[in-house]
Amino acid sequence: MNRAHLRQTMHTEATPAEADVPDAELVRQAQTGDTAAFDQLVGRYRSRIFGMIYNMVHNEQDAWDLAQDSFVKAWKSIARFRGQSSFYTWIYRIVMNVTIDSLRKKQVRGATEFDDAIQLKEIDPASRTVPHADALPHENLENQEIRGRIDAAIAELSPDHRAVILMKEIEGMQYHEIAESLGCSIGTVMSRLFYARKKLQGLLRDVYENV
Amino acid sequence: MRVKNYKVCCGMFMKTFEEKWTAWLDDELTGDERAAFEATLEDRAAAEAEKNQARKLGALLKEQLQPRAMGNEEFFHHQLRERIARESAAEAPAPNDTPVLRETWWSIRRLLWLGASSLAVFAVCTFFVLRQASVQDQSQYLTQILNSRVDPNVSPDATVSSFQTKEDRVTVLWVDGLKSLPSEYAAK
Repeated sequence: MNRAHLRQTMHTEATPAEADVPDAELVRQAQTGDTAAFDQLVGRYRSRIFGMIYNMVHNEQDAWDLAQDSFVKAWKSIARFRGQSSFYTWIYRIVMNVTIDSLRKKQVRGATEFDDAIQLKEIDPASRTVPHADALPHENLENQEIRGRIDAAIAELSPDHRAVILMKEIEGMQYHEIAESLGCSIGTVMSRLFYARKKLQGLLRDVYENV
Repeated sequence: MRVKNYKVCCGMFMKTFEEKWTAWLDDELTGDERAAFEATLEDRAAAEAEKNQARKLGALLKEQLQPRAMGNEEFFHHQLRERIARESAAEAPAPNDTPVLRETWWSIRRLLWLGASSLAVFAVCTFFVLRQASVQDQSQYLTQILNSRVDPNVSPDATVSSFQTKEDRVTVLWVDGLKSLPSEYAAK
């Protein structure tokens, strides 16, 4: 999803008058305790953030909870936001911290990296990733299998590598934006991308060669 | 413009092969950087094939992992509002906190007053005790009066008193009631 898509999403989720208010102005109002302004910011980014978290954790309920945690954390610390980066980058940093932290805790608890909850049968019929209703049954099955393979391959990556590859390939973010969001150097981002791609290429070679 | 600037920035910071490879793969190198990097590749054809594979991978991920739509967006919003309100209320000081604080503060004040009063009483007592001691110390006369009668056969009404000053090492004898004092007479 690129920035044009984001703007499109903003227009679909907010009234035209609301969409005209720039993020910076809403942030300023939210910093004075205006919850309505913060509501608008949530409305602009909730879907995108939820989708990103879902791709990281592969579980709808976890993604929901982590998105909630991220927004609550953002509300609590919005007074400290100095506007040195965009609100989007700033909240992405919070989202990534919350999500990566959660994934690490799960790993420490000894959970398998691939969450069994993301079995193919659990894919939400409303999901955009699910084929259209007019797709043939064998196509549906094939797509579900592909999605399952991809989820499993991504689950093999460390949380940091997962975040980098998703932000780059799915979100279309620049290196410096990813670096800002993850609080690391551009070199680190590029290095993580290198290893994440190598690993995914090894795991998914037969998939992308045959699709 | 931003990307162009970034490319310059990127080239400045790239150090490792992994970083250069990634930038090459994402077409983030400037013309000179790309040429320099490609010159270092031993097998250019294999590198190009891998670049092609990486692009296929990227396309696959982009196609398959489009963000999942959030169901029940309004409920998400509602739940978030409720949670923020609840957590904000929990962080705000409760009305009952104030009397507790006052009570605590009053106790501290009382303790302070008690301490100060005790110190004052102690100071006053110390002052008087020291003053009394110093009066005794400052008195230059440790007087020892010796009331002794002289020989009652000679002078029945005569008395003799002795005054001593220790510091000056002086002793004064005061004799009273004698009609006459014989030269060999002495106080007993």
